[in-house]
Amino acid sequence: MYYPVMTTGIAPAAPLTPAVFAILLSLAEGEKHGYLIMKDARAPQGGGLHLGPGTLYGSLERMMRDGLVEESGISDDERRRYYRLTSLGHSVLAVELERLDAAVSSARSLGLLADGGHL
Amino acid sequence: MTPDALPTEPLERIYGQALRLYPSRFRAAHGASMRQTFRDALRDRSLSRRALIPLVFLDLITSLAKEHLAMIRDTFLRPALLFNAVVLAAISTVLALALYSIPQQVLRQGANDPQIQMAGDLTTFLDRYGVTDGLNQGALLHSGGVVDMAHSLSPFLIVYNDQGQPLGSNAQLNGQTPAPPNGVFEYTRIHGEERISWQPVLGREHGVRIAAVIERVNGPQPGFVLAGRNMREVEAREQQVEQMAGLAWIVMLGLILLGTVAFGWTMRQKLA
Repeated sequence: MYYPVMTTGIAPAAPLTPAVFAILLSLAEGEKHGYLIMKDARAPQGGGLHLGPGTLYGSLERMMRDGLVEESGISDDERRRYYRLTSLGHSVLAVELERLDAAVSSARSLGLLADGGHL
Repeated sequence: MTPDALPTEPLERIYGQALRLYPSRFRAAHGASMRQTFRDALRDRSLSRRALIPLVFLDLITSLAKEHLAMIRDTFLRPALLFNAVVLAAISTVLALALYSIPQQVLRQGANDPQIQMAGDLTTFLDRYGVTDGLNQGALLHSGGVVDMAHSLSPFLIVYNDQGQPLGSNAQLNGQTPAPPNGVFEYTRIHGEERISWQPVLGREHGVRIAAVIERVNGPQPGFVLAGRNMREVEAREQQVEQMAGLAWIVMLGLILLGTVAFGWTMRQKLA
């Protein structure tokens, strides 16, 4: 399941941390449990970030408190909980992607990045 | 045995034990999921243990520090708790200042007691006879011996003429009779009396502080009478008061800190 990423006018106070961005990006695909999020983050398209369980669940707790993600209530095992993005989480991800897109466009216009995305 | 050859269960058990190091509330909320995630990682053949174990070890160290700091911040840096602690600290600071300044003032004022009487008595005598004639009639003789201002705690008397020059004295500092600054005489000339803490200067600082009462002599030969006493003993007592007030302040701040920590900890457990 994919969620559309839309402009909302919501601007995060500061650029997201790599862990938060990787989790939001992973959950944008749909509900996932902890290890799947870790695996997505580790993949190059997920940010190539090596998240450990402590960082992952610490980030998830703060993101739940900030209303960016929530537990889906679905579980294939009582220890394996699934998480999903809230509407605020989608919005924050969209704003961050726009910010990164603008930075990449700027880098490209300065000749720092080829059209294919490689230096 | 290389990490990749290690069986899954012991590693999982070790990780399970390491999870005990997290704050209890965090462990209760996520401990089982973290262990499951670690188990999933161990079973994932696409991730070598050689890569996983250092990653998890570093993650354990950094996230432990982060979660404990977050726990401390959530527990003790709540605005209401901080506000109460700051208010109590301010009250205890005011109390400690009062504990110091009230006895300090009482001690300092008390240091003038004999001088007030002595200056008053001599001024009454000199008002009648004048400063020069009064001294000639032995106004200072009954006080017995010359007081060493630097070392003796005995009160002493000095008589000055209307220009502030010493005429007679039963005290000396390094063989001379010092005089306070002219401003003191000017003030006394207008107001009749002045009480000061005086640090005599005769060419150099002597480190001697005098509790002095200066009174104006009127009559046919006007002048001034200064009654003084070395403040060494009073200042030693003031220092004791300062130390006790400082100690009381530190104890009060310590109790506030302990109370804040205990209250924050109790409320945290109730809120959890």
